Amino acid sequence: MSAPFPRRGILKAAPFLLPLLFLLQASLSHRLDRWVHPKPFETVKTSTMDPKVSSAMRALAFLGGQKVLVGHIFWIHVAQYYGDTDNARDRYASMYDFCSLASDLNPRLTGIYTFGAAVLAFHVNRPEEAFRLLAKGIQANPQELGLKNLYAAILFRHSANYERAVPFLEAQIRMGEAPTMLVNILANTYAKVGRTQDAIRVWRTILTTAKTDEQRIIAAKELQELYARTKEGKAPSR
Amino acid sequence: MIRVLHVALFAFRELVRSKLLYIWFVSVAAMAGLAYFLSQLSFGDEVRIFTDLGLVAMEVTGFLVLFLGLAVTYTTEMDQKAVYLQLCKPLTRGEYLLGRILGLFAVDLLVVGGMGVAVAVLTLSRGELPPLFWESTTLILLEMFLLTALGLALQMIATTMVAVVLYTLGAVLLGHFTGEILWILQTQLSPLAKWGLQAAYYCLPNLEVFNLKDRLYEPGVGMGWAQWQDILLYTFAYSFGAFLVGWINLEKREFR
Repeated sequence: MSAPFPRRGILKAAPFLLPLLFLLQASLSHRLDRWVHPKPFETVKTSTMDPKVSSAMRALAFLGGQKVLVGHIFWIHVAQYYGDTDNARDRYASMYDFCSLASDLNPRLTGIYTFGAAVLAFHVNRPEEAFRLLAKGIQANPQELGLKNLYAAILFRHSANYERAVPFLEAQIRMGEAPTMLVNILANTYAKVGRTQDAIRVWRTILTTAKTDEQRIIAAKELQELYARTKEGKAPSR
Repeated sequence: MIRVLHVALFAFRELVRSKLLYIWFVSVAAMAGLAYFLSQLSFGDEVRIFTDLGLVAMEVTGFLVLFLGLAVTYTTEMDQKAVYLQLCKPLTRGEYLLGRILGLFAVDLLVVGGMGVAVAVLTLSRGELPPLFWESTTLILLEMFLLTALGLALQMIATTMVAVVLYTLGAVLLGHFTGEILWILQTQLSPLAKWGLQAAYYCLPNLEVFNLKDRLYEPGVGMGWAQWQDILLYTFAYSFGAFLVGWINLEKREFR
């Protein structure tokens, strides 16, 4: 027979125990909140974004405590938005807002900043928005050198300072996990500044390592053009 | 203590033998599959996205186990009066409640813990685990323990099964909202609204404390002994408080 449960003792002490436990949990909750939220809560402007998307996503993220889940789902939504050619008609007007919300929900996913900034700066030619997105990314991930390099690369590229843009793009790609678009930009920049051999080398790498047929087709076309150009001048050394 | 363990074992067996276990295992497989599918759909960093979604799936599955477990035990224990069979034995109502908390938590431990191991193995087969993966899993389990104690306390207060599930769901949703309550409190509010929000902030379980999965990659986030001490003490204080409230209500409850 086991020892009896101290029923009377605990129940008698309950009027004193309950306030004590309440105060203990309240003070611990307050103390732990400083560990959970070291920085104040931030909001993001959603100027042109669909308000339904914004409010529904945000509500789900904050109420359910599922910011990462909603952030990843929203990130897929951003990729789908960019993949839908219908959105090209307004030059992907909501791209910045979508990337901004995705990064607000999942600020440590650096792919959002690199992909978003590359699209904004090099595809739709809205460098100001790219800078804003990258600044947000650098603030959230100060240790990520890649974001700083991309910031500088966009700055040099848009001021037509190719001599400084190329090393920054190279550094960004050397760090790994660079979006394919950035590698394409480096190859195009090489071609622009007359470094045809380097451009051919990069496009060859893309041709052999690209994950999709579409990327391989683009690389093959670019190589064809570059070879045609070099034939007019001189043959490339292999 | 042995009597408590007997009740816990009985509650565990009761839930494991019910067909609910199949639903839970199907949901575990579905959640893991969904995490894999979404990671493939996403752009870049598939392993990280799979691990993140795996952690989310663990928590969601834990909630599913908790809600279904609370609904089923309310129906069998209170509506079908199975509680008579246990309370007519030499057993105090406190022992009964504590045993049920441990039994339901053991099922959660089995399902969520098993899922944690599965997500870890799948992640390791494709890459590396994030540094705080096991800490996040442990915190999800602690969250489930606190919510099990709270859910069963609410079961002793509520008079219908739907009310039990709704109260617990409300606690889960608002418990994750505590950070935002603090933010709202910093804005211009009437004294009454401020007082109400402050009361809600201190009475609700602060579930954001256990939400390490959302901050896994934040620079400088670490789980030192000081944090573990505070979190364990907080879990104990809140769960024990909830258990006491549940026990007092169970003592007052008349079974006819």
